[in-house]
Amino acid sequence: MRRALIISTVAHAVAIGWGLVSFSTRLHEPVPVESMPIDIISADQLSKITAGAKTGDKDKAKPLVEKIAEPKPVDDPMGKISEKKEITTASAPEPPPKPVEKPPEKKPEPKPVEKQPEPKPKDEAKPVEKKPEPKVDPIAEALKKDEAKKPKPKAEARTPPPQPQQPKQEQKFDATRIAALLDKRDPQRQAASGAALNMAPSLGTARGNAAQLSQSELDALRARLMQLWNPPVGNENPEELIVRVRIQLTPDGKLSGPPMVLTSGRSVRFQTARDSAIRAVFRAQPYNMLRKETYETWKDIEVTFDPRDMFRG
Amino acid sequence: MNPSDVAQSALPLANADVSLLALFWQAHWIVKAVMLGLLACSVWVWAIAIDKLILFSRTRRAMDRFEQAFWSGQSIEELYRSLAARPTHSMAALFVAAMREWKRSFESQGKSFAGLQMRIEKVMNVTIAREVERLERRLLVLATVGSAGPFVGLFGTVWGIMSSFQSIAASKNTSLAVVAPGIAEALFATAVGLIAAIPATIFYNKFISEVNRQSQRLEGFADEFAAILSRQIDERA
Repeated sequence: MRRALIISTVAHAVAIGWGLVSFSTRLHEPVPVESMPIDIISADQLSKITAGAKTGDKDKAKPLVEKIAEPKPVDDPMGKISEKKEITTASAPEPPPKPVEKPPEKKPEPKPVEKQPEPKPKDEAKPVEKKPEPKVDPIAEALKKDEAKKPKPKAEARTPPPQPQQPKQEQKFDATRIAALLDKRDPQRQAASGAALNMAPSLGTARGNAAQLSQSELDALRARLMQLWNPPVGNENPEELIVRVRIQLTPDGKLSGPPMVLTSGRSVRFQTARDSAIRAVFRAQPYNMLRKETYETWKDIEVTFDPRDMFRG
Repeated sequence: MNPSDVAQSALPLANADVSLLALFWQAHWIVKAVMLGLLACSVWVWAIAIDKLILFSRTRRAMDRFEQAFWSGQSIEELYRSLAARPTHSMAALFVAAMREWKRSFESQGKSFAGLQMRIEKVMNVTIAREVERLERRLLVLATVGSAGPFVGLFGTVWGIMSSFQSIAASKNTSLAVVAPGIAEALFATAVGLIAAIPATIFYNKFISEVNRQSQRLEGFADEFAAILSRQIDERA
């Protein structure tokens, strides 16, 4: 009996030892998948993602603003600023500064004379305007950067200083700031402009733009056009009735030009549908459902008239 | 809930050790006691099983050898003298007991033949009972473990699940990562119970049938030998 007991004990020890090895390794194989936190935000919230830097501060909702102008985000906030492409629009927030005393300040152009008076649309202004003196600009830029950096970034971000109003110090060469003059950033970059200077951007995307066409505006536009569109009845080949129309609008919601039909077809039913769509585009004026703040996103839009969408809930 | 909190709380649980040893050490002490008890039961069951396997095979071989010798035409007196020298088991013990009673009756003065037949049968019955008892000893342990083991393991499981539900209630978190270790350790108790009980039941059934077969064989031999001795008694009377 004792021998049997010893045999049994040894066998159990062996079995348990084997179980410790095999059981544990087998169960360790399924590596838990790394969890990915997902925030559910609405389309409206998505459109209001703050303009900022990816490395920015999450708490302070301040976009990166390197100069005072119409809000205009840049792709890479860390790139080098080039003053060449800068345009001042008519709606620049600050009054035109005095030309004499402000060459090195934060204004986009040290030469306010040639730009400020006439309100030019962006597209025409870009090719025309060039920086006359490239020598002065980097220094001015460096000085401007120093200005922004000197105050503590934290405090600065919360209360943007009213810098545009106070006149800057005279431009002069300072050997101690020579390091600041060596700007290693991308020369093609455009400065991020905004209403108030902020060198400590918050967390966000460079293209972030709170003024975007929201889903409800799109839906309202689509519902209005669909209401006015009368495609020929019949349920065969509904795909041949799809009409895509390009519409260009003015800020007050009127058509700025005749709608362009982008799809083509030969059938009579398509032509009927196309004409009806063009009539609908005209009759839908004015497009009051689109907000003026988002004009940039709807000044040139494409609308798809699809009969299958009309009968969907 | 803050996603980072979830990730942090899930992290240690996801990395929780699920080896057998960890399952054992994380368990409640009652569950531990159940597991240890069932492990001891399993060791004891296998010890009994090994012991019985050896005993039965040895008994069967001894019976075969004895029957061969008994029916070989060898003189019963010689056989008795060779077997009585040392302690014997099973069929040989039966033969020795009957022969001893026979000789005692003949060598005594009275030559009491009247009750000899009955005495020999009684002696052989007693010997059979003793041999069967020797074969059957500890088989009841197997039966007990086989029937009670699952229940004991189930008790450990129920207790472990109770405590794991209590921990769910305490942590207010119902994610599988919170529940799984407790349930795994609880189910481990049932597994140990089944591991102990299944061999116990199988061995019990096997050994009971073996005991029945061997006792039948002993009784058959006892009847045959009683008939032989009865013939001798009638011839001498």
